[in-house]
Amino acid sequence: MSFGVLNPAGALAFTALAVLIALYLRGRRRRVVPVATLFLWQRVPAQALDPERFRPDLLFLAQLALLLALIGGYLRPYLEDVMPAGEGVRLLIVLDASASMQAREDVGTRFDVARGRARALVAQLLTGDEVMLVAAADRTHVVLRWTADHARALDRLEALEPLDTPTDLAPALELALGEVRARPATRVVVLTDLPREASGVGLERLGAVDYVQIGRTDDNVAIAGLELDEPPFHPASDATVTVVVRSYGRAARRVVLEATVGGAPWTRRDVVLAPRGTEQVLLTHPPGAGELTVALVADDALPVDDRAVGWLADREPLDVLVVTGSPAVAASFGALGMTIGGSRVRTVEPAVWDAGREADARVVVLDGVAPSAPLPVPALYVAPPAGNDTCPTERIAEGAAVIDWEADHPALRGLGALEALTLTGTAELGTPAWGTAIVLAATERGAFPFLVAGERDGHRIACLGAAPLASADDLPLLLLTLGTLAWLEERPGDAPLPVQTGVAVPFAGDPPVLVAERIGIQRVGGRIVLANLFDDRESDIGRSGGGEWPARARPPAITTVPGGRREIGWWLYVAAAGLLVVEWGVWARRARGPA
Amino acid sequence: MRQDLGYLSGLALHVHRGMGERPGDRRFPGRPQSAGIELEAHSPYAPGDDLRHLDWNAVGRLDALLVRRFTAEREVVVHILVDLSASMTVPARDDKLGAAKELALALAYVALSANDAVRLALLAGPAPRISPVLRQRESVARVRQMLADAGARGLLALGETLESYARRHPTPGLAIVVSDLMMDPAEVERGLHALRMRRYQVLLLHVVGPGELEPGREFSRGLLEDVESGATRPVVLTPAVLARYRETLDQHLGALEALADRSETVYARLVSDASVAEFVTVELPRLGVIRRR
Repeated sequence: MSFGVLNPAGALAFTALAVLIALYLRGRRRRVVPVATLFLWQRVPAQALDPERFRPDLLFLAQLALLLALIGGYLRPYLEDVMPAGEGVRLLIVLDASASMQAREDVGTRFDVARGRARALVAQLLTGDEVMLVAAADRTHVVLRWTADHARALDRLEALEPLDTPTDLAPALELALGEVRARPATRVVVLTDLPREASGVGLERLGAVDYVQIGRTDDNVAIAGLELDEPPFHPASDATVTVVVRSYGRAARRVVLEATVGGAPWTRRDVVLAPRGTEQVLLTHPPGAGELTVALVADDALPVDDRAVGWLADREPLDVLVVTGSPAVAASFGALGMTIGGSRVRTVEPAVWDAGREADARVVVLDGVAPSAPLPVPALYVAPPAGNDTCPTERIAEGAAVIDWEADHPALRGLGALEALTLTGTAELGTPAWGTAIVLAATERGAFPFLVAGERDGHRIACLGAAPLASADDLPLLLLTLGTLAWLEERPGDAPLPVQTGVAVPFAGDPPVLVAERIGIQRVGGRIVLANLFDDRESDIGRSGGGEWPARARPPAITTVPGGRREIGWWLYVAAAGLLVVEWGVWARRARGPA
Repeated sequence: MRQDLGYLSGLALHVHRGMGERPGDRRFPGRPQSAGIELEAHSPYAPGDDLRHLDWNAVGRLDALLVRRFTAEREVVVHILVDLSASMTVPARDDKLGAAKELALALAYVALSANDAVRLALLAGPAPRISPVLRQRESVARVRQMLADAGARGLLALGETLESYARRHPTPGLAIVVSDLMMDPAEVERGLHALRMRRYQVLLLHVVGPGELEPGREFSRGLLEDVESGATRPVVLTPAVLARYRETLDQHLGALEALADRSETVYARLVSDASVAEFVTVELPRLGVIRRR
């Protein structure tokens, strides 16, 4: 048997007790009572008045009891038959909190619907039943561990909000199924908009959970991609932006695309989309550099993917000092500088170059040269000599070809033709501790790093196995060199970091991994982070209308006493009525005085 | 104060003592006088008697000179003495003063309606305010105005005041004393004795408040302050104290009744929340103070 109250806010009524006591004390204060004469009173004993002493009399006690009974009734107390420990219900609710749950349906967002269902489930629990809340988005988050505090669970539910991240429901389901295995009486309810087939867990295993799928509408248009093409060493006005706009609905849509740079309007385009169609919108001649925001005016069901952000940077012209003894290499870099307006390319013989002096350039290219001490500026080591510490090399390989590269690395961004790159002669680089191999080449003997990039002593360094002229088709290698030079010129940590929500990226900080949960431009540890959703799975919100798949194997039925919860407030009201009669009797007796 | 006094028509004060000096409607048997209407007795002729009152039939029959004597018919002056000391104002919600004024007005109306003369004395402080003798029913308005204008204040020594009043108005009449009598009964007796010595018929009307009969209605504890003397006394109204008070009050009321008996005074008690009309029309006739004309 347990005791509880249904109206805890009614406890405020206890302040009435303070009022009663104050009135009582006020009545007991030293009061002057005018009388016609003291002639009669002089014959009765006088008694010193003690205003401080609190001596409740019978009338006060009767009034106190009456007040307590009324307040007690107002609190709506109840008695409940509680099942023995271990037999209570254990309810585990898995709530999908991914971006698609923000989709608006007729009755509110999918998340609101799911939360309402969860709230109803918690409200059905009896005292002693336990509940656990798990939110599933890109990661699984245990919102509330097993607890019998249902009010706390409801509070946590109210505080939950869906994230802007993709869904990874499988870990949450595995966690729930683990709980079921540990305690077979556990009931698991999954509230999501994902079809069961897309949950990441086999249908057979899902038979152990109550699976509730929510959602119907497919009315969504999204920015599925944002591609910035910024030529190296060119101003921002030379950049172009390609926006991928996709409709996920079965009806044709017409939307407006608006772009701003640094808060200033750039362009506004009408975009007509076929049913489930995709359009690429090319934006040129941006008005300046800075924060790029592209947004759709679509009024669709899911607003979170109607906006994407990027960053347009103004880039300085090429400024490089080439240390080489090869006239061909010098000519090659000189030609490179000629193609970029405002560039400054200077060449110096290794014999006359003083590595100890501060370089009068933003980047130094060392062709076949490797100073023993690190340089104070970013440096590109081209065909580094054997035996140097900075860019270790093993041997010279003939007839090598590029076989793999990190396409996402900033130095390689926009390069698509490296696969065809063959090299007449290149140094087989090793991988130093300060860098990673971002381009791999291979010969018959095996693969080796062709381009290594990294940071050392606060400056970027790259090692390239061969000079630009070492390729049969020198254009890709020239572009690779140019991209590497552009990357070298950037100061580490300066460039905005584009991320996709829910995707972990390495980050110079603690923790060393960054996962964005909201789209937009954020500042993390002094660095600008550009977070976009760009997830077809989340944006494709169309569902069949949902459904419910109850668990095939139910937890053992819980035996409850019929009418287990019994309110006793009315009994207190009855007691209050009786106390009122008693109080009136005491008062009347006092008014009459002793017989 | 009740305005409509018509319910008192037909009533008169029953007066058997206090014969005034002026001729009037009241007959006072036992004090035959030479002129009148109702023959009461004969007396031997004495030189100086009016020869017109010789009973010639008696002379013829008895051969003696007998003079006819008649029942005295005199005016009665009803002295209504109202206690207007400060004690009449407490307990405030009992309104003893209002009850006393209403009672005084009702008795003045009854007296004036029966062709009795009325003198209203408002007793407060050392100099009571005393009206001239008022006659005829129209004078009720003046009595009403005097009562309405009067406020209770100050200290009143009732015995001394009544003594002074009796000395100042030696001609007897009916003295109606309206007071809360919250004083030593000896003080009351002193005043009554002075009136009785002047052959006044005295009616002692005691106006008492419910709060004086049941002090628990007024307070449970407090510093009691005498509104006239300013003296104080702390009292906690425990059941024992209340019982003691009730006992003392009973003794006081009993003493007032006893002194009224001793001084051949009619004593009647009006609780201030009771109906004055009922008191005048039921209680006072029951005591023989008022009768139908």
